[in-house]
Amino acid sequence: MTPHRAMPNWFVRRFVYGISGWVTLLSYLFMLLPIVVLLAFAFNAGKSTVVWTGFSLKWFEKVVTNRNIIQALQVSLIVAVASAALSTMIGAAAAVAITRRAFPGRDILSAALAAPLVLPEIVLSVALLVFMSFAGVTLGYTTMIIGHILISIPFATLIVRAAASSLDVRLENAAADLGANEWQTFYMVTLPQLMPSILTAFILSATLSFDNLVMSTFTSGVGTTTLPLRIYSMLKLGITPEINALGALMVLANVTILLLVMSRYLPLILKTNRR
Amino acid sequence: MRRERREQLQTGLMLAPSVLLLAVFVLIPICVVFAYSFALRDPYGAVLPGFTFDNYRDLFQGVYLQIFVNSFYLAGMTTALCLLIGYPVAYFIAFKAGRAAPALLLLLLIPFWINFLIRISAWVVLLGRGGLINQGLLLSGLIDVPVGMLGTVGATLVGMVYAFLPVTVFPIYAALTPIDRRLLEAGADLGAGPAETFFRITLPLSLPGVLAAALFVFVPSMGVFAIPVLLGGGKEIILGNLIVQLFLEFRNIPAGSAVSILLLVLSGFGILLYMRALRRVEAMK
Repeated sequence: MTPHRAMPNWFVRRFVYGISGWVTLLSYLFMLLPIVVLLAFAFNAGKSTVVWTGFSLKWFEKVVTNRNIIQALQVSLIVAVASAALSTMIGAAAAVAITRRAFPGRDILSAALAAPLVLPEIVLSVALLVFMSFAGVTLGYTTMIIGHILISIPFATLIVRAAASSLDVRLENAAADLGANEWQTFYMVTLPQLMPSILTAFILSATLSFDNLVMSTFTSGVGTTTLPLRIYSMLKLGITPEINALGALMVLANVTILLLVMSRYLPLILKTNRR
Repeated sequence: MRRERREQLQTGLMLAPSVLLLAVFVLIPICVVFAYSFALRDPYGAVLPGFTFDNYRDLFQGVYLQIFVNSFYLAGMTTALCLLIGYPVAYFIAFKAGRAAPALLLLLLIPFWINFLIRISAWVVLLGRGGLINQGLLLSGLIDVPVGMLGTVGATLVGMVYAFLPVTVFPIYAALTPIDRRLLEAGADLGAGPAETFFRITLPLSLPGVLAAALFVFVPSMGVFAIPVLLGGGKEIILGNLIVQLFLEFRNIPAGSAVSILLLVLSGFGILLYMRALRRVEAMK
């Protein structure tokens, strides 16, 4: 009756249903085992990233005393914080306008703000590079921060938009009824409710910037080598446990930020959701 | 009246930064790249005004053509493998994992916390001559001498699948979870075996997620440049590598612009295909 009858049921039961568990197990091993090995060899005493010769923290010491890495870390942090702050502000303003105000071209703008998400990042990057050299701007912090804003703005806008569209307008009306002016209503009622999403947008934007390689490759200038760019050139020269130690430190930093944010803002997020 | 004008002004102020940002740093730059892709170039790398189709014509000859074939092959294989592996994983999490599902989803996020390059470096070590995989194969007696796995297309492919697999699972999972279990039961009650239930109910209903996953993997994988260099030894390069070389090494801006425009057109084409396929799937329901 149907073309699929040709496929026997035992085949599907075994290979589509039964096997999914095995595929999942193997995929998780494939995805996570390299990370475990990588982190383990950060503590290796020897220079090898393959043969275990004993426990040592010397590679961590090497990383934190490597001036190139510290410098790159500084650049990365400056670019991450600056681009995330700007991206969140620009994105939040646009998100509030898109959800709350009617204006011509609203759909076009909201599609355009998501465009950097679907356009190849490398094309956005070379376009910015070509434009900046066309305009005579020297590559450096400015070009890189602008580039990173382009990468994170779709996410920042989407996150704040989702929160803004679920706001209860009655709260703002109540504030107005109680005599608050427009600014007071925004500052004391709307903004506090949007704060968790704004913070989420900031952290995600900063993370995207901190990990970015493609945009930085085309927009960084002399003296503004970011950490991923530094890692890339280290990797091209060969692997040392220093890379593993650096990776372990980055995981530690990520987990710390995540836990801090969760402990500080999770109760807040849960409270707003419960309303 | 005054209030209305003030509101308009406010809206304008809220929108101005994002509109300016997109216009000045996305739209105009892409137009500049488009214009440059028809320009001439002097031997020192400076762009000369002029109009020629040579930059595009060159793309379909010799080395360039080979790079296109490589890119399509690699992106296609990456997408196919990611879907083939990612679908059962998403299926398992959505239908079979039960209470373990949130934990599995959380584990899937771990790769996103670790810098992409550092994750790839793990594979450089694993695939190396002295790496764990070679050691395991030697121990098991399957091989006598270590196999050179680094610097091959296979190694690049492993790295690509490794990088894109987590991205594949989420959209498929998101399409699978809302499927009404009663539909599956109804199918079984009406006499459909597991095969028929899967191919006539589950798979069609999850197709939008599969299409989205394919789009999220195929388009970005053509622009990747780090994996073919670090794992593939830079031998079989793809469009991403070509763009890096043309802009940063050879300073051939017109040719690089032409490649960029082509990549842009290809991804636009991909998005159009995705939307058409999505509409057809929606119409099927």
